[in-house]
Amino acid sequence: MSNPVTIIMIEDDEGHARLIERNIRRSGVNNEILPFRNGTDAVGYLFGPDGSGIDQKGRALLILLDLNLPDMTGIDILKRVKENKHLKSTPVVVLTTTDDSQEIKRCYEFGCNVYITKPVNYESFANAIRQLGLFFSVIQVPPAAA
Amino acid sequence: MTSDAKRRRALGQILLLAAGLLVLVAISAGSVLLVNKARQDSAWVVHTVEVENQINAVLLELRRAESAARAYLLTRWPEFLTDHEQAVANVVPYADKLAQLTVDNPLQVENVKKMRAAIDIRLDQFRREMDFIKRDEPASAAALVREAAAGNTNAIIRDVTDKMHAEEERLFDLRTANADRSQILASSVTIAGSCIVIALGAIAAFQVRRSTRVRDEAETKLRDLNVTLETSVQERTADLREANDEIQRFAYIVSHDLRSPLVNIMGFTGELEELRGDIFKRIAALSHSASEAAALPQNATDSAEPVLESADKQLSDDFSEALGFIKSSIAKMDRLITAILNLTREGRREFSPDRINTRELIESIAATVAHQAAEANAQIRIEPLPDITSDRLALEQIFSNLIDNALKYLRDGVPGDIAIRGRTKLGFAIFEISDNGRGIDPKDHQRIFELFRRAGTQDKPGQGIGLAHVRALVRRLGGTMSVASELHKGSTFTITLPVNWAAKRKADV
Repeated sequence: MSNPVTIIMIEDDEGHARLIERNIRRSGVNNEILPFRNGTDAVGYLFGPDGSGIDQKGRALLILLDLNLPDMTGIDILKRVKENKHLKSTPVVVLTTTDDSQEIKRCYEFGCNVYITKPVNYESFANAIRQLGLFFSVIQVPPAAA
Repeated sequence: MTSDAKRRRALGQILLLAAGLLVLVAISAGSVLLVNKARQDSAWVVHTVEVENQINAVLLELRRAESAARAYLLTRWPEFLTDHEQAVANVVPYADKLAQLTVDNPLQVENVKKMRAAIDIRLDQFRREMDFIKRDEPASAAALVREAAAGNTNAIIRDVTDKMHAEEERLFDLRTANADRSQILASSVTIAGSCIVIALGAIAAFQVRRSTRVRDEAETKLRDLNVTLETSVQERTADLREANDEIQRFAYIVSHDLRSPLVNIMGFTGELEELRGDIFKRIAALSHSASEAAALPQNATDSAEPVLESADKQLSDDFSEALGFIKSSIAKMDRLITAILNLTREGRREFSPDRINTRELIESIAATVAHQAAEANAQIRIEPLPDITSDRLALEQIFSNLIDNALKYLRDGVPGDIAIRGRTKLGFAIFEISDNGRGIDPKDHQRIFELFRRAGTQDKPGQGIGLAHVRALVRRLGGTMSVASELHKGSTFTITLPVNWAAKRKADV
């Protein structure tokens, strides 16, 4: 892999972030994980100071997105990512505590690739993350070409 | 207006009417009495006049007799004789009549007696005169006439009649005055009474007008109040709806946000569990290597549960027990939070009215629980049910919850009998779901409708949500719900729903 995938983790809860990271590592994924604790920082990083997202052009990214953020909703970030011409092919995995069918439907409508409910049951949680690792290994990350 | 003042006013009106009636009665009675008296007085006046007439009549007849006798003496014409005889014949009855008329007055009786005596003398003189004339002794007759004229009989008669006249005059004046007085009295009583009645009438009219005005004012006020009441009810309803929505949002956010830390607690408990495994593996390895110098190296990497000494084993078990409690508590908390989330989700769902064949709906519910019913040796009887217009999904949830409950809480060893009955009353459909199950203690009848509360033996799985949910649904459908039950005798849940429910909720959510 000449251009390894960077995982952008947007998660305000430190504990959740740690658990996700551990489980990702445990499932054997060693890609770089960039954690963001709030929406503003993440948006700043993704879209750059001019908001065009030109900086990320050609980079292989995967976004892990929590919907409940202190400063904005994950849905807004999802929408902006999917509307940006440089980022729209970036896979987005929505990770949230809600299993509300309406919300899941809305996320898929906005172009989310995977929706994972954070289960309280630890086993199923670890399972879900491990499957995410599997998912990383099969997804076709868009080539870094222009 | 206070009720006290109202009562006083009513009492006043009654008193006024009573007074008016009393006055009228008094006036009528007084008038009757006075008119009677006036008539009596007039009768007395007439009587006086009659007496005077009678006196005059007696005198006239005497004069007639006298003048006829003289004329006969002079002319001897028989006409004068007849005239005289007629007059004489009249005198006595006239005098008798006069005596009769004046029998009430002792003075006049005395006078009449005197007059009768004089008249008798005079009549005797007439008889003798006539005798002389018949015997053709005119000289004697003329002498008798002269004697009579010179005698005092005539004077006595004149005197007596004058006295009688005077007496009757006095009586006439007295009686006329009496009659006048009673008439004046009668008319003044009538006038005064009329005045009082008119005054009372005026007061009554005034009072009626005043109470009419008060009533009109009250009516206007009532109308205003009704209008304001309606608006304030609408305002309150809107406020309540807002508050309810607020609570729904709150419950949703709280339960949602509570899940986040729970994920951490569960997650790190899991991590701790892994750590526990690692720690005790190491302890086992260390104690092994300490006791036996020739420890098997593959033991350390063996995935099987490490062999621990008794003290360490105790520690490990305590650790597991603590973790077990934490995990089961988290699981329970998660179930509760999920339940609240589901409830709020239900609360946010928009209902849509739909014509529902209730019997069909309940038959389909019964079909889905047929297996459970067969296992519990229970039968479900569905009696004829009224069709209603309501929200289909809500009705399904209501009935399936209640039928589930009925099946769940049957008595062991007694064949279950679950009946669903229905009827309509005043625009409401009343459904009864009754069973012969274990029943509910009356002190728990309110409790079972509360969220997370259950009653009786806790031997069946459940969160204590079903009935709270059902009641919330029934209320949203504009209905009410109640339970009648006795321990060991079964329960009957009664649901009253409007036959035609129209979603009144504003489309604001």
